[in-house]
Amino acid sequence: MDYEKPLSEYILDSQKIDINDYEHKIKLAFLSSFTINGLSESLKVKCSQKQIFSSTYVAGYNQYNQEILDEKSKLYSFSPDITFLILDTRSIFGDLFHFPYSVTKLERKNFVDEKINDLLNLIKKFNETNTSKLIITNLGLPHYSPHGIAEMNTSYSFHDAIIDFNKKLKDNVIEMNSVHIFDFFKFVIKHGENNVFNFQNYLFGDIKIALDYIPHLANELMPYVISFLGLTKKCIVVDLDNTLWGGIVGEDGFDGIRLGPQPPGNSFMEFQKYLKALSQRGILLAINSKNNFDDAIQIIREHPHMILKEDNFACMKINWNDKVSNMKSISEELNIGLDSLVFFDDDPVNRELVKEFMPEITIPDLPHDPSRYSEVIQSLHDFSVFQITNEDTNRGKMYFQQKQRTESKKHSTNLTEFLKTLNLEIDIKKSDNFTIPRISQLTMKTNQFNLTTKRYHEEQIKKFSEEDKMLVGCAQIRDKFGDNGITGVFIVEKTNSNEWFLDTFLLSCRVMGREIEKAILYHIINEARKNNVKRLKAKFIPTIKNKPIENLLPDSNFSKENGFWIYNIETPFNMPEFLTLRVK
Amino acid sequence: MSEKLYKIISKVMNTNIEELNDESSPSSISNWTSFNGYVLLDELETNFDIKFTIDEAMDVKKIADIKRHLGNHGIVLND
Repeated sequence: MDYEKPLSEYILDSQKIDINDYEHKIKLAFLSSFTINGLSESLKVKCSQKQIFSSTYVAGYNQYNQEILDEKSKLYSFSPDITFLILDTRSIFGDLFHFPYSVTKLERKNFVDEKINDLLNLIKKFNETNTSKLIITNLGLPHYSPHGIAEMNTSYSFHDAIIDFNKKLKDNVIEMNSVHIFDFFKFVIKHGENNVFNFQNYLFGDIKIALDYIPHLANELMPYVISFLGLTKKCIVVDLDNTLWGGIVGEDGFDGIRLGPQPPGNSFMEFQKYLKALSQRGILLAINSKNNFDDAIQIIREHPHMILKEDNFACMKINWNDKVSNMKSISEELNIGLDSLVFFDDDPVNRELVKEFMPEITIPDLPHDPSRYSEVIQSLHDFSVFQITNEDTNRGKMYFQQKQRTESKKHSTNLTEFLKTLNLEIDIKKSDNFTIPRISQLTMKTNQFNLTTKRYHEEQIKKFSEEDKMLVGCAQIRDKFGDNGITGVFIVEKTNSNEWFLDTFLLSCRVMGREIEKAILYHIINEARKNNVKRLKAKFIPTIKNKPIENLLPDSNFSKENGFWIYNIETPFNMPEFLTLRVK
Repeated sequence: MSEKLYKIISKVMNTNIEELNDESSPSSISNWTSFNGYVLLDELETNFDIKFTIDEAMDVKKIADIKRHLGNHGIVLND
C-alpha cells in the first residue's frame, strides 16, 4: 500500500506536466528550515494524478523568516493558495537539540515559550499580508536523548519540551481558520525515524527527510490540496460478497459466510468498522451488489456480527442489474456526481468494468487478502476536509431520513400535497463563527442547485461577513422526518442604495425540489425592501452541472436585462403557504 | 554493468545516454546540480544495494569517480 517510486522519477515526471491538460489549478508555496528539494516536484506529480495542475514556488534554503516578514517577498507576489511551512526539530531547538541539559528545566520551558511566540508572530504577519492557507508542520520527536533511560525520570525533559512545543502550537492555531498543522510527528511514527531521517543525507546536504521519503511526505500533503479545491469524495459504494463479508451468501447461506470475531471473519468486521467510522464523520455509504435482495438483506438485518446496519446505507442497489447501471442509479438517487464516489469491490473484473464506463469514480485495487482491506481505507486521502461540521456528522442519518421521505412521496398523489405533509421549516441564520465553516463548505461542494458556482474559502466568507456592503446568510431546514442542517446559502452584494446583487445562491441537493428556494428568495427580497432598495440583480452562470437551477430566476418573476436578471422589488413575491420561515 | 550505471545517471540527470562518458561532470551536464548529485547517489545505493561512505560521496567529481567507488564496494563494471 505504501510503495512509492524513487524521487528521481517524480522529478523527471514533473517536467512533463503541461498546464493545459488539467481541469483544476492550484498555487502551492513551500517554505522550510532545511533542504526540501524534490518535494514540490513530487507534489506536482501527485496533483496531476488527481487532474490538478499545481504551479509552485519554493523559497530559498532556510529563508522562511525573511519571506514571511518582507511584504514585498517573492512568496507574496506569487500569491499562493496554500503555503507549506516545513520545520524541523534541529533547526527550532538549535544547540538545545544536542545539549538540552546544558540549561535548567525553567530555561527549557522559557525556550519553548519563546519559540512558540516567534512562530506566532510569523503566523500573524503571514495572515495579515496574504490570504493563503498556511500549513505548518509540528516537530518530529527524536528517539534519542543524552539522558538515555533516565529521560523518563527527568522533569520537563528534552522530549517533554518537544511535545510541549507541539501542543502549544496546536492550541494556538486551532481557532485560526486559515492555519492548519501537518502532523509531522505522526508522519515519523508511521514511517519510522530510522527511515525518515538519515545521518548521511543530513550531514552531506542538510537533507532532514531522507530522499526516499520525500514522495511519502508529498502524498500526505495531498489532503490539503484536495480539501482546498473541494474535491473531497462524498460516498463509498461497496460490494457485499467477499467485500463486506467472506464468501457468497447465495451459495454459502446465512450461516456459511465468513463474518465474526475470529479469523478469517474478523478481517471483514475490521473493514466494516473502518467504513462505519467514516460514515460517522459524514461519508455516505451505498451498496452495489449482484445478489438476491432477500438473501443479502437478511444478513444486513439479522447477522449478529454485521457492524454496518441498514440505516448506515444511504442507498442500496442489491439486484441482478449490471454494476454500471446500479452506479448510475446510486449517483442519481443521492444527487451526487460520479466523481464524488469511491467504489470497493473485491472482483477485479467488476472494478475494470466500472472504471471503463465511469472513469470519474475512484476505484482502489483491493488486495486479494481481506486482512489488508483496512489498509486501503487508511491510505486513501480522498475524504479529507479542513474541518468536520455538524452537518457532516449527521449526514448518514439525514440521507436515511431522505429514503423515508421518498417512500412517503410514493404514497402522495401530487407534489404540493406531499410537500404540505412534510411540515417544512426554514430558519434563516446570519453568518457567524458557528455557521461560516458550513457556508464555505457548501459553496465549495454544491454543484447542481448553484446559481453562480462561486467557490469561497472560510477566510473569504469571514471577510464578507465583516463588510457592511455584503449580506451573508444561510438556511437550516427541518421537516417531520428530522433536521437537514444548514443546506442553503446566499451572499448578496449591496451594490448601492438602489440595487443589490445576488452573488451566490445555492441549495444542497439534499433539500432540492421542496420550493425552499422560494422562502430564501422571499427573505432576501424582504430585506432589500426594508432597505428601500429598488432592484435585485442576479446572474445565472451555467456549468455542466447546474441545470436544475436554470429556471429559478425566470420562474420567480426576474426579467432579463443586458445579460442579467432583474427583480423589481415592488413586485409582490409569494412564498408557498406550506413553508414556515423564521429569521434568527 | 556500465550500461546499468549510465542508464541510472541518464535518468536522474534527464540527459541522453549518448552524451555521457567517464569524464562527464557537473560542468558538462547542466542538470547535475548538487541536489541531483545526492539523488544520484541515493539511486545507485538502492540499485546496487550498497552504502557509500560520506568521504566517497564527497569525492564524486565525475562519472569515473563513481565507477571507482562502486569498485570499492565490489561492483565490477565491464565496458
